[in-house]
Amino acid sequence: MNIIIFEGFGDVLLEVAMALLPLLIFFLVFQFVFLKLEKEKLLNIAKGMIMSFCGLALFLQGVHVGFFPAGEVMGEKLGELSSTWLLIPIGFVLGFVATFAEPAVRILNEQVEKVSGGYISEKVMLYTLSIGVGISIALSMLRILIGFPLWYFIIPGYAIVILMTFLSSNRFTSIAFDSGGVATGPMTVTFILAIAVGVASVTDGRDPLMDGFGMIALVALTPILSVLILGIMYEKKGGKKEHVSQSET
Amino acid sequence: MQDIKDTVKEVILAVLPITIVIIILQFTLLWLPMEIFLQFLVGVVMVSSGLILFLLGVHLGLLPVGEMIGSALPKTKKVWLIILVGFFLGFVVTVAEPDVRVLSSQIDDVSGGEISQMLLIHSVALGVAIFVALAMARIIFDIQMKWLLVSGYGLVFLLAAFTPGSYIPISFDAGGVTTGPMTVPFILALGVGVAAVLRGKSSSSDSFGLVALASIGPILAVLMLGVIYG
Repeated sequence: MNIIIFEGFGDVLLEVAMALLPLLIFFLVFQFVFLKLEKEKLLNIAKGMIMSFCGLALFLQGVHVGFFPAGEVMGEKLGELSSTWLLIPIGFVLGFVATFAEPAVRILNEQVEKVSGGYISEKVMLYTLSIGVGISIALSMLRILIGFPLWYFIIPGYAIVILMTFLSSNRFTSIAFDSGGVATGPMTVTFILAIAVGVASVTDGRDPLMDGFGMIALVALTPILSVLILGIMYEKKGGKKEHVSQSET
Repeated sequence: MQDIKDTVKEVILAVLPITIVIIILQFTLLWLPMEIFLQFLVGVVMVSSGLILFLLGVHLGLLPVGEMIGSALPKTKKVWLIILVGFFLGFVVTVAEPDVRVLSSQIDDVSGGEISQMLLIHSVALGVAIFVALAMARIIFDIQMKWLLVSGYGLVFLLAAFTPGSYIPISFDAGGVTTGPMTVPFILALGVGVAAVLRGKSSSSDSFGLVALASIGPILAVLMLGVIYG
């Protein structure tokens, strides 16, 4: 058995250096013209830079030797199953569990519970989001199997978001729009997407570039839609008074 | 110490559930060759430890600087400087964003090098940069967020009509990955700092939409790539 760990690590180190160099230059310029921090803080920044460098290198290497190849092979295998419809529940489960445990999601839920005075409880939010992301990934799998364009989801999705922006109060819109990133956790981009690309590459008549991608877009849309919809329900159902006193801005 | 503990917990919670599902699938449905499966587990260990190290580094050394810049900058009262710094910060932070790296190398792979990683990363970063600069301008000139969002997305749908179909999923995905562990805290720190100093009031509703705006930029940038190269 031949396990690859450090193959191509030199390239990854070079890539990470290129990734962090602009940030370093930016800081240095700022330091000299503007901030002029004392030594102790500079030392912390240097330590942080070195840690970020090593961390990013390890992360990218792990994605390259582990997640990409394994994800694609898993996708190919799943796409060749005799009953490919299984992909839909599998997609749902992957999305659900990824979101259910995600720390960023919990922070968002606390925030929503607070703003709605407990009306939209953390639990309701957690299930809404987890089911929402589950559906997003299930739909992406369905899209690969059947082959309809991303437009069918994206246009109504964003149309609803924009419409709701005008209906919902600032309080909820603000939380909603800043929540776009909470569901696209580290596993979605690195691993679930690789599975989708793998599935698309073995499914007849699908272009992995066109049909494999597009999943992250749907996942990112989920929390925005969830917060806006729940927010409007809350305001319609009697949260109004409280809400007026809360939104003085 | 508490920081380290929290970060470790955060990463494990994000990685473990899917890993467990995959392990279950492996021994019920997939039965992949052991070699690939072990390769996956190696990936899990490396990605988790890398992410922990990266996040700790960002919190220790990078974010405090972002906050300092965010609060020191507006005191200069130079509008052009705030907008310019917003632009550069948006760019350098996106170039260092792990999720952007991963997505772009995947696209590079799948397109057989036709859409190269370098080109993609830099266009996405440019898109973020322009929209962070716009967001700064919005805070300074007190423009309603709604109008920026509506015109931003209007432009997205307009451009999408002229771009080859294969660029559309990629562009929306690019919009989704810029909201990662690096970009979001930096942009929020900058926005909150600028809003607090300029207006001297609670900035919770001022900073809002920064993340949403920052993710329109990359969509437009990749759609533009499609119009040019497609």
